[in-house]
Amino acid sequence: MSRPPSSFRKPNPLLDLLRARQVRFGLVLSVLVVAFALLGPLFAPHAPTDLVGITYGPPSLDAPLGHDYIGHDVWSRVLAGGVSVVWMSLVSAVLALTAGTALGLLAAFARRRVDQTIVWFTDVFLAFPDLILVLLIVSMLGREHWIIVLTVAVAFAPGVVRLSRGIALGVVNQEFVEAAEMMGYPRGRILFREILPSILTPLLVHLGIMLTWAIGMLSGLAFLGYGVAPPAADWGLMINENRAGLLIQPAAVFGPVLLIALFALGTNLLAEGVGRVTSRIEEKTT
Amino acid sequence: MTTLSIGPQHLLPQLRRTAAALRARAPAWLPWFIGRLLSGVGVVLVISFIVFGATQALPSDPARMILGPEAPEHTIETLRRQLGLDRPLVLQYVDWAGQVVSGNLGRSIDSNVPVAELMAGRFANSLTLTLAVAAVAFPLALVLGIALALRRDSLFDRAVLSSVVLFKAVPGFVIGICLVMIFSTSVFNILPAASLLDPALPAWRQPQYLILPTATLALSVATYLLRLVRASMIEAMDSEYVTAARLRGVPERRIIWRHAVPNALIPAIQGVAMTFRVLFGGAVLAEVIFSYPGIGNTLNAAIEMRDLPLIQGIVLVVTVGVVAINLAADLITVLLTPRLRTATRIRARSPGLRNAASLWRTGKSWRVSV
Amino acid sequence: MRAGLAAGGGLVLGGLLPACSEGGRTTEVASGANGDEPRRGGTVRFGVIEGSQAGNLDAHKPVGSGAFRGWALYSKLWEWGLDARPKLALAEEAEVNADATEWTIRLHKDLEFHHGKTISADDVIFSLLRLTDPQLASPYAGYLYSLLRNDVKKLDERTVRIPFEKGAGLVALAECWMSWGGIVPTDYDPVNNVVGAGPYRLKSFTPGQRSVFTRFDNYFKSGQPYFDEVEILDFSDQTGRLQALQAGQIDIAPNLPFEQQAFLKADPRFEVVSSETDVWHSFDMNLEKAPFDDPRVRKAFRLIADREELVARVLQGQGRVANDLYSPSDPAFNHDIPQRRQDLAEATRLLKEAGHGNGLDVELVTSGGAGANAALVFAQQAKKAGVNVTVSKVDGSIFTGPKRNDWTFSTGGSVSRPFLLTVQQHDGPRAVGNKTHFKDPRFAELITQALGQPDLDRRRALVGEAQRIQHESGGMLIWGYSNVLDAVSKDIGGVTPDRTGFAGWRTDRIWRRSIA
Repeated sequence: MSRPPSSFRKPNPLLDLLRARQVRFGLVLSVLVVAFALLGPLFAPHAPTDLVGITYGPPSLDAPLGHDYIGHDVWSRVLAGGVSVVWMSLVSAVLALTAGTALGLLAAFARRRVDQTIVWFTDVFLAFPDLILVLLIVSMLGREHWIIVLTVAVAFAPGVVRLSRGIALGVVNQEFVEAAEMMGYPRGRILFREILPSILTPLLVHLGIMLTWAIGMLSGLAFLGYGVAPPAADWGLMINENRAGLLIQPAAVFGPVLLIALFALGTNLLAEGVGRVTSRIEEKTT
Repeated sequence: MTTLSIGPQHLLPQLRRTAAALRARAPAWLPWFIGRLLSGVGVVLVISFIVFGATQALPSDPARMILGPEAPEHTIETLRRQLGLDRPLVLQYVDWAGQVVSGNLGRSIDSNVPVAELMAGRFANSLTLTLAVAAVAFPLALVLGIALALRRDSLFDRAVLSSVVLFKAVPGFVIGICLVMIFSTSVFNILPAASLLDPALPAWRQPQYLILPTATLALSVATYLLRLVRASMIEAMDSEYVTAARLRGVPERRIIWRHAVPNALIPAIQGVAMTFRVLFGGAVLAEVIFSYPGIGNTLNAAIEMRDLPLIQGIVLVVTVGVVAINLAADLITVLLTPRLRTATRIRARSPGLRNAASLWRTGKSWRVSV
Repeated sequence: MRAGLAAGGGLVLGGLLPACSEGGRTTEVASGANGDEPRRGGTVRFGVIEGSQAGNLDAHKPVGSGAFRGWALYSKLWEWGLDARPKLALAEEAEVNADATEWTIRLHKDLEFHHGKTISADDVIFSLLRLTDPQLASPYAGYLYSLLRNDVKKLDERTVRIPFEKGAGLVALAECWMSWGGIVPTDYDPVNNVVGAGPYRLKSFTPGQRSVFTRFDNYFKSGQPYFDEVEILDFSDQTGRLQALQAGQIDIAPNLPFEQQAFLKADPRFEVVSSETDVWHSFDMNLEKAPFDDPRVRKAFRLIADREELVARVLQGQGRVANDLYSPSDPAFNHDIPQRRQDLAEATRLLKEAGHGNGLDVELVTSGGAGANAALVFAQQAKKAGVNVTVSKVDGSIFTGPKRNDWTFSTGGSVSRPFLLTVQQHDGPRAVGNKTHFKDPRFAELITQALGQPDLDRRRALVGEAQRIQHESGGMLIWGYSNVLDAVSKDIGGVTPDRTGFAGWRTDRIWRRSIA
């Protein structure tokens, strides 16, 4: 990764990122799956709830992935079933990031009591294993999409609080913040102009990792029967629905499994690739 | 902790005195440790509130679930009264907490067996599974992690790393389903697909039932651990003291085994603790796939059945376990890190955790950009 | 399934009809297809699924798979015959008076419990009073609603007289009592002294996991049962059980889900025993809520259903079309009412007449299993009549929770049980789970009369008229009866088609072929 010494230009982080093979691969994979999920419904030959074939009908020319437990066209459902996976995992990861960062920064800034209280409560939540927490909340409040999304966000937020507080503590003590404070800049401005940009990269990397987790957790919930409720088409739900037919009509399970795996893989590669490249840039620039 | 058993009214002054006395002679980490211990007790207490409240807020109630859809309302009312579910929530909590303190977790509403008895068997099974996973995953991750670090960026390293990402990204239950199809049904028929443990025998005496669940969990867990060991080993090999040792002409083998590996293992302690935590809670899916009679399966069933005493008992024990594991990992980290062991004051609540978490998640060491 | 306790069958009264006094100490020969004879010895393993319930061993309040274990542990005064009619078991004779308010029951001689004590009238009285004890809170006590508990009388060591309120006779005592009427000794305890008179005695019980039983040599059917040991394994997951079956970890999987049949039929090691039963499936319309307070809408919905498609898709062909009535095997069932068929034109006309010409939105609440699948299929069918049915799936605990009888439109159904028992559960005058809120004074009167009418021909007239009322203005859209499938290893004999749906439950009839 040696660069000609003459290049004194400001490094362009975006270009650096795209130069890394892992990032490119992860990005392409993620974009492809997301595009498949978002545009898929437009190309579905049938409505996801149409009963067009026999139960667990095998793949044929008309139905490349066969039919499912009640006679839906699996291909149409695979095309239609990505939207919920994509938006639910994205929104829950973003929610966790936003709420967690806000609390983490608050803790780092406020110090003392507020800090201790926040940290202590993240301890409480971290002592609950993720899935148990989600199971309890979902069976308590129901399985509407937004409840599941919120619950997953709640499960992930304490981790973000820890992370953002830690980074912010490191930054808060640095000279430029102290200088800004001495110059009498308002705190909000310091927060948004100085601190947030410098902690953005690790948080975005964490967002990508949470996305992978969210995909796993949402499909795991659906697998246990606590996820999205039928008749909606949803990749996680499809695994659950057609699991009884796994040995008869495996395509009905493997279609969604493959897409979930690819989506998780893509986001994971992307997040880690970005993480690796940015830390390399940091090493160079320091 | 004999000082803690003398009753709450003496606790604080006693502690202060102890702290003062210890500051002179005792290790510097002791106040930190006591603080952590108390905070852990607080966490468990708050969680017991939350769990109690949450289980009570679950829609429907155990009486109804047990008696089934055919039961008339007056029968349900009778059972609710018998179970004490009609009393005020606070009273129920105080009763329950009192019982728990005296070591009694109550009776399962569903099967009318004492919760402690029911849980003992399931926890033993889960623990066996966890240890089996640990026995497979830890050595594997350790050996492979060190090997990869020593050959970093080689073809071998890159190949292993990129294939390992698969197991990390693909949800664990998918791995489980695939293993079942390969080893017990569709391809080979050599391993039992369902773990029908004979409750009369301890789980470790029935290893044939442990293989597939262990493999499923170990594949998911070892990946994280492997990356953690590799990253911290690389960091150790790049550190100044290794460079210094090289300059002094210390043989490479000695550098690796006497200097690098011990230092690289400290983050691994936190990694091990994280693995246990994940297994404690996250084995639910694997246990459901293999019908393994562990704590995850039991909890899943208890939630569906609204078996309140069982849910409360399990969650309480799991959280106590998690808190204890965290504490143990932190203590070991402190004791093994000279800088922390001798520090006059430990500022971080959980030294080493953040670094390990970062290594675990991203394969990169924790670092604040400077 | 706790609901799987009983089966549809005739109201044949033991003691009144000589044909059914063949119970008692007779040897049943359970012949396999190839005429082989039962052999003694060996072990059998059942894999049962009961949701997540760990279950118990209580004879009178069976919970979860406790009902299944009850078949091994307990014997009753009557038992279900293969034809789904009650036949005498521990009882030698059962007589009822003219208005069904007084039953006299005599036990066989020299019957024994697992612990060696002789079964006496005291034990029968103890068992009956325990079942109906309000403190036990058994959900099944209510079916003996008019029992005069304080006046149950011991006539001699083997004879008991059981009285019912005047005007509220219970001709269906056998059906209403048998399934949860295990006879237990007076020193019975459901946890510490689990003793009955069933074919197998308890060896060990781990809730939610497995229970083991050993042969009871003094079982009241001589020569039976056949196995040395019976194991009942609890599964929470259908796929897990299927895999255990394939891997040879269990021998019998009762109540196989329909989607697994094709797979098992292709496997030469197993036989799938399909039993035609009265298990019924319905959509329940709440008569107290719009739009179903209008009889035209109810009729329209009943005409929307394409019952053939529902049977083909939801039951995978393993069943028959139903005519909005339950218990077709009951001897009093009215077979003269013409079968309803899909008629979209008429349905659309009725909906228009009821003021829903511009379409209608209805939420169909369901919980899981066949009901959920039926809801999806019906939603598609309703579209054709301009009705937009939104399926909403909720957890079982919510479906049967406090709101269980308040859904406007929900899926329903129950197991194979005779008419007079089913009507008490679903839409009769004392029904517990009256989800349709069907209350018709004439219907209630007919049911009460039928319950006190021991004469079959007279009862048939009463039930026939009641069913006409149900068919015309009731709230249930009963679209099908399903078969019950049991997957059985070819090495196991004695599992034969069974009107009750209990083919795979009869632990006293089955045996292993490979025993030398």
